[in-house]
Amino acid sequence: MEEALRPQIGLLRERAELRADADLVSACIAGDGDAFRELLSRYRKSALALAYQMLGNADDAEDISQDAFVKVFQALPCFRREAAFSTWLYRIVTNLCLARIRRNRAPVALDSVGELRSGEDPSRRVTEALLTRQVLSQMAPELRAILLLRDQLGLSYREISSTIMVPVGTVRSRLSKARAVFRGLWHEATVLEEAARA
Amino acid sequence: MTCRLFENQLSPYLDGELAATRSARLEAHLRVCTYCQAELTAMRQVASHIQAISGEVQPSRDFDRRVLRAVGYYQVTGRQARRRRALARPLAAVIVMLLGLLTLARHYLAPPPAQPLMPAPQSAAVVAPASPGLPLPADHDRR
Repeated sequence: MEEALRPQIGLLRERAELRADADLVSACIAGDGDAFRELLSRYRKSALALAYQMLGNADDAEDISQDAFVKVFQALPCFRREAAFSTWLYRIVTNLCLARIRRNRAPVALDSVGELRSGEDPSRRVTEALLTRQVLSQMAPELRAILLLRDQLGLSYREISSTIMVPVGTVRSRLSKARAVFRGLWHEATVLEEAARA
Repeated sequence: MTCRLFENQLSPYLDGELAATRSARLEAHLRVCTYCQAELTAMRQVASHIQAISGEVQPSRDFDRRVLRAVGYYQVTGRQARRRRALARPLAAVIVMLLGLLTLARHYLAPPPAQPLMPAPQSAAVVAPASPGLPLPADHDRR
């Protein structure tokens, strides 16, 4: 029941946010600096979280998310409002992250995976968090992005579709694939982790 | 496996993105299929793992400041500008009042001009230059 109602709830929430954000965007274009400040305060955390899980490094994530806000501000007069402000921002963050990953071509450097050493007995929550980040880092960036947009930011398929510019059908199939890949890698990682502990 | 049809629907069902009729059919299937139940549970766990790490990183203290500086926010915009405009009129009024008071004070409190020791000469003829040691040539002729 709850799952069946989720699209409607999401749509209502999206419309309400769209209106409020649209007002702030208009104020921003009219030169109200405080409106941009409000948008920044509203979305900095989610933009940073997305960049962090995409890149696995807090410093890079901070750079990328700040850069995304600067780009958003500079492009505000050209914003066509076909999508919500948040979708547009996440698109910029995702594209910047993918560009950074392509440029570096190195595996994602995880900030604190090194904390998981054999012999230690970290709590289950910490272990799982580290495993989750390790698994995410091993996924193809495009699959990682779609999984984060859905399960971390809670975007609807339509929002994800406008964020990564693919049809809703592709979002659906890519998300199924991303979940399957995550589960496969998770299984491997937990087997290895248990072997290391034994 | 007869579940292949339903298997593709598990992910959109989990996300609430499956049409109502399909959802109803899938729910009926889930009641009898342990394989699909396990698949759905595993997918929920993926979502739960991802959600568990979503709050791991916090923006640095100067996150906003850096962005706002990069976009030129600190060039007197928004609230700062309104605050300055609000202060400008009273400040101008105070400055005008102070200048007025200063002018009045200079007028009334300034010392009177100094009195000359000798009375001022009455006419230009009286003040005609007369050097004591050099008599005028006309006077000399008259004698």
